[in-house]
Amino acid sequence: MKSSRMLGLIMIAPAAIMILLFFLMPVVLTGVFSMTNMTTATGISGGAYQIAPHSLNDLKSTMPDIAEQMSQPRYTIDETGLKAVEGLGLDAGIATELRAKHMGEVFKTRREAERMIKGLDQGPSTTQVKQISEQFNRSVVNSRFSSRQELFTALDTLGFKLTDAQKDSIAEATYTGWNWTTENFSRIVSSPDMARVLFNTLLYVALVLVLFNTTYAMLLAIWTHYMPAAPATIFRSIWLLPRITPVVIYVLMWKWLAWDTGFISVLMGKFGYPPKNYLLDNAYNAWLFVILINGFIGASMGMLVFSSALKAIPKSQFFASEVDGASRWQQIRYIILPQMRWPILFVTCYQTLSLLASFNEILLSTRGGPGKATEVWSLAAYHTALNNYAGNLEYGLGAAMALVLVVIGIVLSLFYLRIFNYGTLVSRPLIED
Amino acid sequence: MTILPTLKCLTVAAAILASTTVLAFAKDITISVWAGGTGPNDTYRLDAIEIAAQQLEREAAIRGEDLKIKVEKTPYADWESFKQALTLAAEAKKAPNIVATGHEDIGPWSQAGLIVPIEDYVDLDSWPLNGIYENLMEIASFNGVVYGIPQDAESRPMFFWKPYMKAIGYSDADLDALPQKVQDGGYTMANVLEDAKKMQDKGLVQPGYGFYPRNSNGPDYWQFYTSFGGTMEEDGKLVFDKAAMTRTYQFFADAVKDGVTKKNHIGMPGDQWWKEVATGKAGIWHGGTWHYARLVKQEGLTNFFDNVVFTLIPAGEGGKANTLTHPLVYLLTSGHEKEETEIAAQLIKIASEPRINVLHAMKSAHLGIAKAESEIDLYSSDRWAREATERLLPYANAMPNNADFGTYWNIMWKGLEASWTGAKTVDASIGDVETELKSTLGDKIVIR
Repeated sequence: MKSSRMLGLIMIAPAAIMILLFFLMPVVLTGVFSMTNMTTATGISGGAYQIAPHSLNDLKSTMPDIAEQMSQPRYTIDETGLKAVEGLGLDAGIATELRAKHMGEVFKTRREAERMIKGLDQGPSTTQVKQISEQFNRSVVNSRFSSRQELFTALDTLGFKLTDAQKDSIAEATYTGWNWTTENFSRIVSSPDMARVLFNTLLYVALVLVLFNTTYAMLLAIWTHYMPAAPATIFRSIWLLPRITPVVIYVLMWKWLAWDTGFISVLMGKFGYPPKNYLLDNAYNAWLFVILINGFIGASMGMLVFSSALKAIPKSQFFASEVDGASRWQQIRYIILPQMRWPILFVTCYQTLSLLASFNEILLSTRGGPGKATEVWSLAAYHTALNNYAGNLEYGLGAAMALVLVVIGIVLSLFYLRIFNYGTLVSRPLIED
Repeated sequence: MTILPTLKCLTVAAAILASTTVLAFAKDITISVWAGGTGPNDTYRLDAIEIAAQQLEREAAIRGEDLKIKVEKTPYADWESFKQALTLAAEAKKAPNIVATGHEDIGPWSQAGLIVPIEDYVDLDSWPLNGIYENLMEIASFNGVVYGIPQDAESRPMFFWKPYMKAIGYSDADLDALPQKVQDGGYTMANVLEDAKKMQDKGLVQPGYGFYPRNSNGPDYWQFYTSFGGTMEEDGKLVFDKAAMTRTYQFFADAVKDGVTKKNHIGMPGDQWWKEVATGKAGIWHGGTWHYARLVKQEGLTNFFDNVVFTLIPAGEGGKANTLTHPLVYLLTSGHEKEETEIAAQLIKIASEPRINVLHAMKSAHLGIAKAESEIDLYSSDRWAREATERLLPYANAMPNNADFGTYWNIMWKGLEASWTGAKTVDASIGDVETELKSTLGDKIVIR
């Protein structure tokens, strides 16, 4: 008994690891990211401490004197620097000349210091000039320190005597990495656009689900049920085409249909209408196409599930009903639909979740336009986390938006499992164990 | 008997030693370079690095070094996938050595430590770097540090289709004087809408084609904000000028209301836009100097100067005529061997030499990065390059290098799109933009 349990655990281990890595980890990471202000600028793996001009600006209000002192970028030719230059193993004449002619000189910028070094009799190469100038750098402006410790050691060497409170403010102002925050969620709640995106998402899921994934799929299943076998198979295969066509090509075909130079424009042109981009002409058009594009793909899945469920209904019930004089409608109403409760619930559940997370068809067709009219939640999360013209992707906010979807998904799943009455479906068989 | 094996051993040892000495001199280095927004006309962004590598190899050979540089080139035709790829690659420590990208990336990327300042590796006072236009070098700097070397320059003019302008009453002399008139503020954004309307009323262009702006988000839209008196950044702080932004949004909302611009213009297919602009379907439009290359070489508008006149973006209420330059810069990424980065920096320096850079400028119809470039025959004998440089470049602004500009930009664009398409009124858009800017950027942006 015990060994068989052990064997069971071993057998399931690969699958469990996969689930952990590819299902749970992304959710956990999304949760972690969502609690940060992570962007491209802050980096993912952690930050550094950099006394950049803007951080000095921040410090000016709280500690003006220290900020002023720190903001002095200076290169000083002093004995420490000269010693260091001697240690570089360059031509000895360089240090000698620097000591003789330039001792005590202060340069405001690195460039000015390097101009002087370049002018030395020895004529050092560019690499050497860079090496030498670095030895005289007596400023922390723009230097990057990988840890707080390094930053304060450097400041200490330069003679800054700081209290712990001052250190905290400096560390805070100069840290380039991300911080823990719940701001993403307050931004989601307070942003006027988020409510609209949420509404779009509900509209999208509801319309595609009701019109196509269930109703139309059911109609297809019933139509093909009453058809002779061969045409039914052909008909079903045709409805599978949108699903098996690569999505980029499938959407491109819709675009060809709807563009200014596309089929609809050409056709309407025959009746004197000027060509226009029907896809993006207005929000209603865009929605119509988005729903059709997704609906045609989604309908096929429902069709397959419902068709196979229909096949499972004993033929005798249909024969008996016909003997009793039932019409087609009565067959559908009293025989088919009552027995399709579980398949309908399954398709509803499955498709709600997949529609909530799907955005590729919308991205490829309208990109959420016109004017964000068809921007749904998952697309908005994608745009936030992975699209920014100025190279600053907002991972934190994007993750928070994705997390909202995860939560909605989990809540809906639990709700559906309850409706399914999952407990009875998987209840323990009475004859075993 | 015993000496022979010892001798053998010594010979083998000597041979091995000799071979390692040769190996020590032979250096094989692979330098990878990625470029964003790089179509068929822009391949010299990458090729220039390859040419530079050949030059550096020859220079090394003269010094007696056997240096072999392999350049791996990756062009990205668009920006979106490029920026995604690069930021994610950099996070995974797989960034290329050199990247040619928009200067606005310097802010966030330097804060993240993804790039290293090029001034740590090259002498900025040496040729050809000291010949590069000063304002371009400033655009390639952040926090007072020079991070990149400008790869190209451009500016973004307003274009007018000459035959239609004539049909609504402009003479040849008027059109010749138009660039100056725009520059002096005598022809404004209001005139743009008026003339676009006239063209449509006369049936020269179809409704929605009078004023035909860029079909997607881009730096261009900041020019209009400048035209209407807006400022992007002041003393290192971003600025949201509510009145100027309102006028900017209102301009596009009015263009749609007047029917001279399509409500659903944003997001239309790019190829279609190009074809229509090149074939005179649009009356007035705006674009970039590099559009000349595509219009003439790819879209077949060979008699460009007979059909098109170009000017600065006219002044709007409260602002002045301007244009925006969005130079690409060569940047060095972090996380590589010091020696590799040093060679990469050398390659960038050589690629910036006028004779090499001019190849990109002329093939892609960008503008030169240095005065010396405009003295090269290939450049000076080209009417477009000459006129565009003189007419536009001196009046060019640039977007700020600020780590938070991208956030500002996204919010600004969302608002513009909403008022353009009528999803919100202009006032509502501005209100929402202000709320979002406050909650997102806080005191990093001055709202006035």
